[in-house]
Amino acid sequence: MASQLKVDTITGVTTAGSVAVTGEGNSTTTNLQQGLCKHWNQFVQSNASVADSFNQSSATDEGTGDTSWDFTNAMGNDDYSSQTTCNSGSYHFASSYNDAQKTTAGDRCYSMTAGSSVTDASTVFVTTHGDLA
Amino acid sequence: MASQLKVDTITGVTTAGSVAVTGEGNSTTTNLQQGLAKAWFACDDMAILDSLNSAGLTDNGTGDLTLTVTNAMNNDDYSTGMGAGGSATSDGSMRLVEGADATTARTTSAIRLRQGYKATNLTMYDDSLCSIQFFGDLA
Repeated sequence: MASQLKVDTITGVTTAGSVAVTGEGNSTTTNLQQGLCKHWNQFVQSNASVADSFNQSSATDEGTGDTSWDFTNAMGNDDYSSQTTCNSGSYHFASSYNDAQKTTAGDRCYSMTAGSSVTDASTVFVTTHGDLA
Repeated sequence: MASQLKVDTITGVTTAGSVAVTGEGNSTTTNLQQGLAKAWFACDDMAILDSLNSAGLTDNGTGDLTLTVTNAMNNDDYSTGMGAGGSATSDGSMRLVEGADATTARTTSAIRLRQGYKATNLTMYDDSLCSIQFFGDLA
């Protein structure tokens, strides 16, 4: 019979922020906290209007093709892994900014056309993996 | 009253590697293991800044790198998310692509990437802030 656990919060015993999860192959384990996406968003780049997000307090239109956002709960360091993609009718693609723009409090991206001009993409999608503070 | 589970390891009962989690809509369930990233890397200038399940980065030459994981994936049909960054004004349009020819096929434990800039012919470049995530089945 399938078992069901009802719980509101999961915390590690040995280390509060570290829980192992048995992988699909039923042998090795992965880490629950490390594997969870810590932030995601979808926004309209022309005005930084956020359609939906997780762990994000605000988004700012920094100029044409340039948007930043702030995390609600900060990351533990600025070495997190962020994926940025977009949709557009003009062959845009979105990129993260360089290290200097990546902080524990937020991140920033820009969008360019295939011809390398910075312009607004229609919608930008971001996911962030790493360590929460 | 809110409940709190304190535990070091979560394992399925019926299937060790499969645990259902009720979704945000409070009706359907999603799968805990399938939803977790099995590896992620944050790299800059051919060095790993931080990672999960990383066995290392191999510098194959300018803009050419291989990322290897410690615990292998169960098959090579996993999904990778990736993005490269730089500065719009100084580095141009940074891009990160997997493979480039038949010798760069992914395996269950490694992917080979090219990073560079410009729109048409990719100019290989080392100093890119790149992020890679693995989603799929652990071995």
